[in-house]
Amino acid sequence: MTEPTKTCAATTLHIGRRGLLLGATSLAASRLGMPYVGNAAAAEPIKIGMIWAKTGSIVDQAEYLAQGGMLALEQRNNTLLGRPAEIVWLDEPNPQGAQQSAERLVGEQKVVGMVGGALSSFALAISSVAKKAKIPYVAANAATGDLTGKSCNKYTFRLQPPVDVHARILAPYCASIGKKWYLLTASYAFGQDIKRAFTDYITANGGTVVGADEVPVGTPDYSSFILKIRAAKPDVVIGGIAASDLTTFLKQWNELGMKGKIPFAEISVGNTDLWGVGPEAADGLYTITWWYKNPNNSPEEQAMAAAYEKRHNRPAADKAWMGWLGMKSLLDSIEMAKSTEPGAIVQALEAWKYRRGDMDVGYRDFDHQMTSRLLVAGIHPKISDKWDYFDVRAELPKTPDEIAKAFGSSADSACKMDTL
Amino acid sequence: MLDMILSQAVNGLVLGFLYVLIAIGLSIIFGMLGIVNFAHGAFFAVGAYLAYALGKEFGWWAALAAPLLTGAIGVVVEMVLIRHLYGKEPLLGLILTFALALLAEAVLRLIFGGAPVPFSAPKFLAGFVEYGPILITKYRMFVLVTTVLVLVLFWAFLAYTPYGRIIRAGSRDPEMVGLLGINLPIVFTGVFSIGCLLAGLGGLLAAPLWTITPSMAAGAIMPAFVIVTIGGLGSFEGAIVAGLLVGLTTAMTIQFQPEWSGAAMYILMAAILLVRPRGLFGERWERFE
Repeated sequence: MTEPTKTCAATTLHIGRRGLLLGATSLAASRLGMPYVGNAAAAEPIKIGMIWAKTGSIVDQAEYLAQGGMLALEQRNNTLLGRPAEIVWLDEPNPQGAQQSAERLVGEQKVVGMVGGALSSFALAISSVAKKAKIPYVAANAATGDLTGKSCNKYTFRLQPPVDVHARILAPYCASIGKKWYLLTASYAFGQDIKRAFTDYITANGGTVVGADEVPVGTPDYSSFILKIRAAKPDVVIGGIAASDLTTFLKQWNELGMKGKIPFAEISVGNTDLWGVGPEAADGLYTITWWYKNPNNSPEEQAMAAAYEKRHNRPAADKAWMGWLGMKSLLDSIEMAKSTEPGAIVQALEAWKYRRGDMDVGYRDFDHQMTSRLLVAGIHPKISDKWDYFDVRAELPKTPDEIAKAFGSSADSACKMDTL
Repeated sequence: MLDMILSQAVNGLVLGFLYVLIAIGLSIIFGMLGIVNFAHGAFFAVGAYLAYALGKEFGWWAALAAPLLTGAIGVVVEMVLIRHLYGKEPLLGLILTFALALLAEAVLRLIFGGAPVPFSAPKFLAGFVEYGPILITKYRMFVLVTTVLVLVLFWAFLAYTPYGRIIRAGSRDPEMVGLLGINLPIVFTGVFSIGCLLAGLGGLLAAPLWTITPSMAAGAIMPAFVIVTIGGLGSFEGAIVAGLLVGLTTAMTIQFQPEWSGAAMYILMAAILLVRPRGLFGERWERFE
């Protein structure tokens, strides 16, 4: 089945007969006395592949990721290297679907780079295609460690800090609440990474895991899981469930009277996950990658947030920022490379830097992981603005040395980087 | 451990009643009209979104109109699309209702956006009660009572009213009912509308518990199909027993083998179909043989 594609550069024009004649005459006049310098390649738009879910459990976040990506190209007037550029957006209904979309983008659409992979399993599937086809790929949302760990490759770059980094930042906060933890994690790479990272931390720090359940993606009812948690009487519940699954869990957590009784914590949540919960049920302690009200946002990020809000009539969620920055890094790198040749873009991505606050962020050479700070946030005790749920408590790690330590060195990395 | 099993069993039965409510409309539409309605989950989502929109604009009580509006949408859908499928190749119904489900999701996304929207139960249904190890929230008790009430009323309507007799007769032998001078198309429109109304009611009641997103239909349609298949296609009693069985099985699997909880109802379905290929209460219907 052929899937419809969406191009953000494409617009529908309705031109009348007179307009057509006038335009044609003007075009002919402008060509008079000028040598023809264009060629077939110059007329072709540069295509960028975007793979974000249009269906499935992560589609809520994917909408923002896609809108952020579109905005990054629009801010360049839909041009790259002086040529028209367009985004070709395909779906990722499941890991196999993500892989097929990546293959179609490379084989049929001839894209020069790709951004996408809303879930870790999707990103791993796209990454394998990027490696095989030798096409640069930016994974803007996936958090599994494998992507820039044992499954790393020369063509894959990742924006989201991996689970281990989030865990190193959030786990001490959780341990300060209590040492008996219950883990409720999704039964795929992201959740399994969280289970391992938090179990390692608490057992190394004198605590215990009093229960651990793996939850299938798309679980509609968590009440039976919540009854188990209630019976286990943990000090803290560590979540590892993503997107609308987290929203459903928090609604039922509140419904069963658990909100405020046992603290809930989770890494790498999105604004949209909480917006869907509602003020009455929202609860928890989280790490987030970006917040539209953070005073430390760069002027470029503030401009992006303003442009997004003007366009979509709602604040830019963290996912919009991730989609935007992931796409921006790829587009910047194509301009830096002055070429659409994959090897040149990869080298430009490795050299690409972006100013955030008091530091330059970029992708590390040895594993292609972006290093940056995270925000630790609770929920406002009283929510009066329907978009403003987070009570940001810290931006960590503080110093560049601490950031390097949190992300780990090349010696700690499982990545064996290949060559172009 | 016994306390925990008892607690999970009660919770599973309560969950089962919510599943029954979602599945019963699907069962009715198949049983009476012979249409396998893939868009049933879409009507469930429409019910939830209408509850959200009405509740936001006019308060929680206005949200109670959501099932009626969903039923009204069902009338239009039946008259424009579904009635052309009666007596035709079943595959056409599958394709059309599948397309309808996709269209409904796209329309909801267009109107409300892809991000989830919040919806809470009214304040007077907040809180829970505890009986020893058993914990039931007031809202889930409300869902249970509503479901039982709806099922009893619908059963009484089918069993004891002239309209109910016409529907039951029409579902078995529409030609004969038509020959008796009864306007069967109107009856079928009513049946489809009731099925959609029940899906909308399921959406309304699930809205405070589930995440309201355009893709929420997927979470409803699969359990509904499993329940209808286990119970026997078109069987009213079958859907009730199967819904409770699925709720119970899911809860017990979560207690003992949580990673299998997503697959538990499918394994149950496979096991039952091996023993009873037509489902627990499935009968041989000449119309569909």
